[in-house]
Order: sequence, then structure tokens, then C-alpha cells
Amino acid sequence: MLSLDLLVAGLISGLVIGLSALAVTLVFGVARFPNAATGDAMSLGAYAALAVAAGTGSLVAGGVAAVLAGILLNVILYLLVFRRLSDRSPIMSLLASIGAGFMIRSSLGLVYGQDPQAFRVPLARPLVLLDVRVQWLDLKLAGLTLATLAVVYLILAKTAAGRRMRAVSADPALARVSGIDPTRVMLTLWALAGGVSAVAGLVLGLKTVVTPDLGWNLLLPAFAAAVLGGIGSPLGAVAAGILLGIVQELATPFVGFTYKIAIAFAVLMLVLLIRPRGLFGRAEGAR
Amino acid sequence: MRFDRRQTLRLMAAGTLAAGLPRGASAQAEEFRVGALCPVTGAGATFGAGMQKTIIATAARINAAGGAAGRTFRVFADDDQTQPQAGVLAAKKLLEVNRVQAILGTWSSGVSLAVIPLTNEAGAILMNTSGAPALSVPPANAKHLSYRFQATNDRFGRAFAQIAAREGFKRPATMAFNNASGIGNTEGFAKAWKAQGGSLTKAVVYEPNQPSYRSELQSVLDTKPDVIVMGSYVADTAIILREWYQTGATTKFILPDWAVNASTIASLGEDVLSNCITVESVANEGSPAFADFDALYRKEMGAPGRGNNYAAMAYDMMVLLALAVEAAGPGADVAAINARIIPLSGPDGEVVSSFAQGRDALKAGRTINYDGASSVLDLDQYGDVTPDFGAYKFNGKSFERKYIVKI
Repeated sequence: MLSLDLLVAGLISGLVIGLSALAVTLVFGVARFPNAATGDAMSLGAYAALAVAAGTGSLVAGGVAAVLAGILLNVILYLLVFRRLSDRSPIMSLLASIGAGFMIRSSLGLVYGQDPQAFRVPLARPLVLLDVRVQWLDLKLAGLTLATLAVVYLILAKTAAGRRMRAVSADPALARVSGIDPTRVMLTLWALAGGVSAVAGLVLGLKTVVTPDLGWNLLLPAFAAAVLGGIGSPLGAVAAGILLGIVQELATPFVGFTYKIAIAFAVLMLVLLIRPRGLFGRAEGAR
Repeated sequence: MRFDRRQTLRLMAAGTLAAGLPRGASAQAEEFRVGALCPVTGAGATFGAGMQKTIIATAARINAAGGAAGRTFRVFADDDQTQPQAGVLAAKKLLEVNRVQAILGTWSSGVSLAVIPLTNEAGAILMNTSGAPALSVPPANAKHLSYRFQATNDRFGRAFAQIAAREGFKRPATMAFNNASGIGNTEGFAKAWKAQGGSLTKAVVYEPNQPSYRSELQSVLDTKPDVIVMGSYVADTAIILREWYQTGATTKFILPDWAVNASTIASLGEDVLSNCITVESVANEGSPAFADFDALYRKEMGAPGRGNNYAAMAYDMMVLLALAVEAAGPGADVAAINARIIPLSGPDGEVVSSFAQGRDALKAGRTINYDGASSVLDLDQYGDVTPDFGAYKFNGKSFERKYIVKI
């Protein structure tokens, strides 16, 4: 039953990649640039959770703190940096986001040090379902990921703010003449992306250890998943993250552990050759 | 143990100013330029800041004691990020812009292997704490300019094999982080273990920065080993040990001491850690040099020196280098200084345990043997040390040394 075990392992890795890809794709869908500071918002969220969880002893309080920290960070970044760059080339915003990420990462290093830190989560023996070992923590984290996805979906599909966001995403000029205030929309969007990044950081931090490089190290797979899923498609990002995770793990019996990452990227290239818009992306002409 | 950039800057500034101050008759005294290239960030960050501060503070002390052969030491600090690319860029800058004559403190094997062609090319000395066996021999050490103050991974592997045999394990498997050090450890173990007539159930090499190592672990556990020998670092070890416990397996682990830190020990807890034996080269505790280093380290880092054996090695690097500068005499070039390093490390000559003591003995024309804080050194023809190793077991709070093995 090794392959079923591998499937579960891939699913769990994939959920983490999918969450961070979701944060990337949210910003890309509306602000139209790949936000390279996404990984560092994840790290900030993880450290906020770590600090509050250590102080209060409650992981839930830690999670809330993480989300608040992620939202706050992204709102500040938008107001100070990205709003001013919104009418320039997306390359400017991309470069600014690399710089912003650098500052966040270095600040975390200065404040918390570079030494890896770990959440104190009680360890438990696994649940055996149909001969497959499943961890309680993984189940909870998968639940948290799905809940986050559901919240994002509800906000985008069912609220007025979500409709405005989708309107700006589809056609910024038309949205503006329809009386939609782009600044308000962007603030909501950045806040949402910040919250999602923080949850991704929290999940990754709980599964691994927290270092200032935590999110940065996951940025490349997250970008890959965002592209694979179809840029701007929240569902696509999560599905592609899970796909990448599963492909990596299922490839290991054939290519070994050192080449599994290369296999994931080979799949990315193949999919893009056959379907350039990604799995769930819309066909889009140049504007 | 936190890296405080401000403090370091202040120290560097102070060191620079002190080095630049005129000193009476020796106003035009030359300075010997040293690069302190340490893993301040990345996988080696647990040790890097302490190493770097130790080098800077030791150099400042040697300068305060009057310097060596009329020269003072000026330290340029940089961060190799525990990454070969970053290490090469920093080493290039140190060698070409700061014109350092020696680079001290590279920690990761990957970094040392990447930096050594540059130091060789520049005719500069490299002092490292890396384990990769390839660092001992040509082409890496073709010019005999490189010295390591840590046991080679091969020797670590031999110590692992002795400990595995002593603990009565029969079916070991290995898991290695995919770099020169991780693989060096597990291959050193495999070589020594097979020489004892044993065999491995499985040898896995894994990639860094993965959110999970479940598949890697599962493929090892499927071969039913009784112990897993690791060549790993802090982050990956924490994940692997946690996931191992969650699989319900009852294997034991033998791992290098650098693979755990205070935070991961606290989070993993006794249920996991009581199955682990950590192995570390034993510092020269009880020696006067160690006591001196310990005092210096406490002052710089606010923590006992015993927690950072690499800083003890960094201390020895600076002292041994300064003694070699002294022994080579005023105006000596790097080649002449380099030729002095191995003889000064012993084992022959009058035992000295500090720079001042060694310098005075050298001035009196005596042969000296510097016994350091990290080990008695006694560098061999390859520039390698052979320390003893301690096997540590978890006592509910921390890892406690149970016995010492000699290889």
C-alpha cells in the first residue's frame, strides 16, 4: 500500500503549496503582478502565531494573530508601496515586492534570529484508515485549508466586495466607470491575500519548523502552482498545488527522492505546452 | 542566542578603529586582514553568529595584547548564508575588495568546497569546520592552504559505526540531506559499518526545504531497520523525527549533534528524543584554552560556550593563525605563515593554551604546541584534526553525554 501512503503524503504537501499559490493568484488576478513578498507574509504569519501561541498557550489565538498580522502587513504594503506603483509597469511592482520581501525576511531574522523554532504541538500516534496511516495534525490542517478555501470562495462569489473584486479583475476600466472605488477593492483584496498567506505560513510552520526563510523557500512551487492552475483562478491554484504535491510523491519510486522536484516542474511544462492558459484559466487576449 | 547586527557592527567599528590607531613606533605597522565568513543565516545559523562574534572578539583581544610580529588583525565579517553561491560571492568580495589574507569560519561543506578554489587562487589560508572528506585532498587542498577544525564526515561516520555497534544495532539504514556533509556522514558510516561486516537495509538521500519527508521515511521504514543513521540539519531533522513518531514506528536514531537545537528539543519532547543518540566531537573541556573561550563566549553571546563547539573552533582558528603570524616573523608572506600552522598545532613542543603564552614562548625561541579550546588540534598532514566523539542521550531535559568513543 506504499502508493496510497505516497498519495496521502502528496496530498498533504500539496495542500500547503496550494494555499500559498492561492495567495499568489489572488493578487495576480486583480493587481496583475506576481507578488514575491507572498512567501514572507507567510513567514510573518508563522512567527506571529508562534509568539502568541507561546504567550497564551493557545494555538487558536496564535492562528488569529497570524491572520491579523498577515492582513495588517499586506494592507501596509499596499498603502505604502503597491498603490503608488499601480499605474506603472507590473515589473515595477514585482521588483518592489522582491524588495519588500527582503525587508520582511531580514527584519524577522533580526528580531527572532535565524535559528529554527518549532511549535509545541502534542505529538500523537497515527490513525490507520484502510491500511493508510493518517496523522491527526494533517487532518486538522487539511480541514483548515479547506475552510480557508471555502471562506475565500464565499467572499469572492457571495459578497458585494467579492463581486467588486471580480469586476476589477475582469475589466478595471469598466469597473471604474461603474462607480467601483479601486482603492477600496484593492485594500480588501490585499487584506484577503494577507490572511490567506498567513494561514499558509501557519500550516507550513506547524508541519515543519519556523525560520525567516520559511515562506521564501516555498515561493517557487507556489508560483508554479499558480501558473499551472491558471493565473487568477483560486480553485485552480489549490488544485494545481495538490496535483504538484501528488505528482512529486508518486514519482519517487521511479526517480528517487532527489529528482522528485524536477518531475513536478516537468509536469508544469507539459501542461503549459498543451494548455497554455493553465488548468482552470480563462483564455485571454491582450488588452 | 540571537544575532544582533548592531552589536556586531559596533564591535567591527571598534575593531577597525582600534586597528587604525597609531601605535607609537609601530605606527606604520602592517595589518593582517582576516575574513570571518560564517553561516549567520541559513541551516548553520544556530552556530554562525556565535562563531563570527568569537573571531572578532578573539582578534580584538590579540590586538589589545600587542598583536603578532608587529601586526594587528583586522577582521572583515560576512555571511555565507550556509549556501555555496552566497559563500562564493562573499569570499570574492573578501578576497578582492577587502584583500583578506585568510578566511576563517566557513561551516557548511558545500560552502567550503565552493570557496576553496578562490582562496587557493588568491594564495589565502582557509580555516573551516566542514566535514566533507574531499576537503583534505587535491584538487581542493592541492596547495595545503586549508585547515579544518572539525572532524571529517568520514570520521563522524566511523564514530557513528562504533556507537551503533556498541548499542547492539544490527539493521541500520541511513538518511542524508543532499549535500557534501550529509552524504559524507552516512557514507562514512556505511564504509565503517561494512568494514565491521555489517550491511545497510536502505540508504536514502533527500532534498532540503520540503514540507514533509513522509515518503522518504516510509521507504526507509519499509525495510524494517532497527536504527536510522542521519546526516541531517535542524529543520529537516525536526520534520523527520516528528513524522517518524507519527508513523508509530519504534526505530532508534543516531544523528549529528548539529541536527537539533533548543527549540526543536522543546517541541519534540521526551517520547521522540528518548529514541535518539546524538554524536558530537568533544571540545577540549577542562583545558585552560576552553575556559578562556567559555568566558569570552559568555560575554559575547550571553550563553555557555559548551553550546557552540564551532565557536570554540573559531576561537582556535584565530589564535593558531595569530601564533603562525608571530612565528613567521615581521613582514612574512602568507606562504611563510602557512608553513608554520601545522607544526604550531602540535603534538611536539611546549604546550601553550593562549596567544600571549605562545607568543612569549616563541619570542624566547622555544618550540610550542598550541592545545586549543575545541581539541588539542595536532593537525595531520592534510590539515585535519582527530577529536574524540561523545555519544549523548536524552535525559528528559537535554542531551547528556553518556560515553566517549575514540576512532
